[in-house]
Amino acid sequence: MGRHIALPVHPRSLVVGALLLVLLLAAAAATLSLGRLGVPLTQLPAVLSGRGEATHLFALERLRGPRLTVAVGTGVALGLAGALFQSVTRNPLGSPDVIGLNAGAGAGAALAALMLPGVVPVPLGALAGAVLAIAVVAAATGTGLRNPGRLIVAGIGVAAMAQAFTQFVVSVMARDQAGILSSYLNGSLGARSWDHAATIWLTLLLSVPFVLALAGPITVNEMGDELADSLGARASASRTAAVALSVVLSAAAVSVAGPIAFVSLTAPQIARRLSAATGPNLVLSGLTGALLLVVADLAVQHSPIGDGLPVGVFTLAIGGVYLGYLLIREWRKGKL
Amino acid sequence: MSSQSTPAAPVLTAEGLTLGYGADPVVRDLDLTVAQGEFTVIVGPNGCGKSTLLKALGRVNKPESGRVLLHGRDVRSQRPKAVARQLALLPQSPLAPEGITVRALAARGRFPHHTMLRQWSPEDETAIAAALELTGLTALADVQVGSLSGGQRQRAWVAMVLAQDSATLLLDEPTTYLDIAHQYDLLELFADLHRRGRTVVAVLHDLAQAARFATRLVMMDGGAVVADGTPEEVVTAERVGSVFGLACDVVPDPRTGTPLVVPHERAVPATIAEAKR
Repeated sequence: MGRHIALPVHPRSLVVGALLLVLLLAAAAATLSLGRLGVPLTQLPAVLSGRGEATHLFALERLRGPRLTVAVGTGVALGLAGALFQSVTRNPLGSPDVIGLNAGAGAGAALAALMLPGVVPVPLGALAGAVLAIAVVAAATGTGLRNPGRLIVAGIGVAAMAQAFTQFVVSVMARDQAGILSSYLNGSLGARSWDHAATIWLTLLLSVPFVLALAGPITVNEMGDELADSLGARASASRTAAVALSVVLSAAAVSVAGPIAFVSLTAPQIARRLSAATGPNLVLSGLTGALLLVVADLAVQHSPIGDGLPVGVFTLAIGGVYLGYLLIREWRKGKL
Repeated sequence: MSSQSTPAAPVLTAEGLTLGYGADPVVRDLDLTVAQGEFTVIVGPNGCGKSTLLKALGRVNKPESGRVLLHGRDVRSQRPKAVARQLALLPQSPLAPEGITVRALAARGRFPHHTMLRQWSPEDETAIAAALELTGLTALADVQVGSLSGGQRQRAWVAMVLAQDSATLLLDEPTTYLDIAHQYDLLELFADLHRRGRTVVAVLHDLAQAARFATRLVMMDGGAVVADGTPEEVVTAERVGSVFGLACDVVPDPRTGTPLVVPHERAVPATIAEAKR
């Protein structure tokens, strides 16, 4: 880390990173210890090392443990996917969740899980849906991924179609189950297994080295293709790689937690404001994404409505306000 | 600065360069040599292919045919970062990332010097400090580029390409959109960089400025080089008439003696006259 990653990492980014890690640990401890089945903080070290009461071990191994692990991994993936895509499109609104990529992955996941169970693995269905969504968006704008205004309009259309398809699949296959519909439409971290955790963490393990290798080139890309090419950053190739990684990370996140909205949109923006550094802020965006999702999931687990509220509904409500603010700001600046 | 007596080693050589696609390429079968230590200025009417040529020299445009040699080696057969360490290009309208400071912008010019294993180093700090010093931006290093004046902003971009620390600079219309005083400030800066040993190739619009600062002038028209030599050799009334379609006298600049174009009065073109009516 530090001086070995990307451009001059100023000390502030390191402080922010450490702070995010501390907050994430605190939120994780809260996730494991709060509520009826929670493991009291004093017993957490013992239970984590495999000793302790049977009910606590059960709660950790079957309920809170996988849920938390999936939440952290998904948050990191969404944060990184958002940072990559926003950097490549040079616009905060060019985010996978705004331009219909996550909705497309959600539709693919619903199709694979409910209509073709055992035939198509869910992550593969999500990836196919994400690729299809980004291809339709890129084709519909007529200018690829260059014009943020067109990207958003096309993304709204693609997201609407993808959500309609998801609703169709769920209402045919899982009639009368509001919980399932909601988790496929909005994303949820309820009832996650270690399989889900393995999917998201394996994806992260494989893609993060490439993401970090791209940090330099996509930072330079933000200054325009010609300058990036003349600096030796291979603008077009590094953009394609960044989009591909963003699609893979989004699809993996959606396949384990559903199309959770606005973590990708907000995490890089928050990371950037905290660090006051330009560029994609990849590491901080990943950490912020994890923190946002763990805290949001903590909130829905202990909300008055109860454990049944999918975390995606919560992030949709909060993030929607931020999206509205960004839309107005970018429009006023004439960037749309 | 004459290169006739002792021809300096060529830095850049374009061989049979054709740029652009199809039956009507932007640049057709062009040959050009840029010698070490020259301040070459490329001029020509709009759409003559001068920017396209500059981008091809900077490895940004891929030639349809022909090749560009950098110190005798095809630029496209070399690693992009290796080329970028020897050759910097400042394009016409680069994008300043939101909220970036002058220093951070200059730091981005260090990209070609970094590898996966070798990231930030003291040499980077030295190169950035030198670039800010040369462009007179040391005091503004922590100011956001977006809040600078037009002239300062352009100097910040020049600082970025200087931080790249390459022996050759390619500049695509670097004075566009600046007022006349800032244009000359910038041109003096380039002349100073040239005196300090850099090879400079610039595309400029203004013939008087081109003639005043260039050690060698290249005039293009219709994708080909139509004249190549000293400013006095290239800028003649006859050639300005045939290439730009502008009847003029060419007189010596009262301060520098370099050729100065003084256009003849002429009738308002028919289309403009009609629009006024």
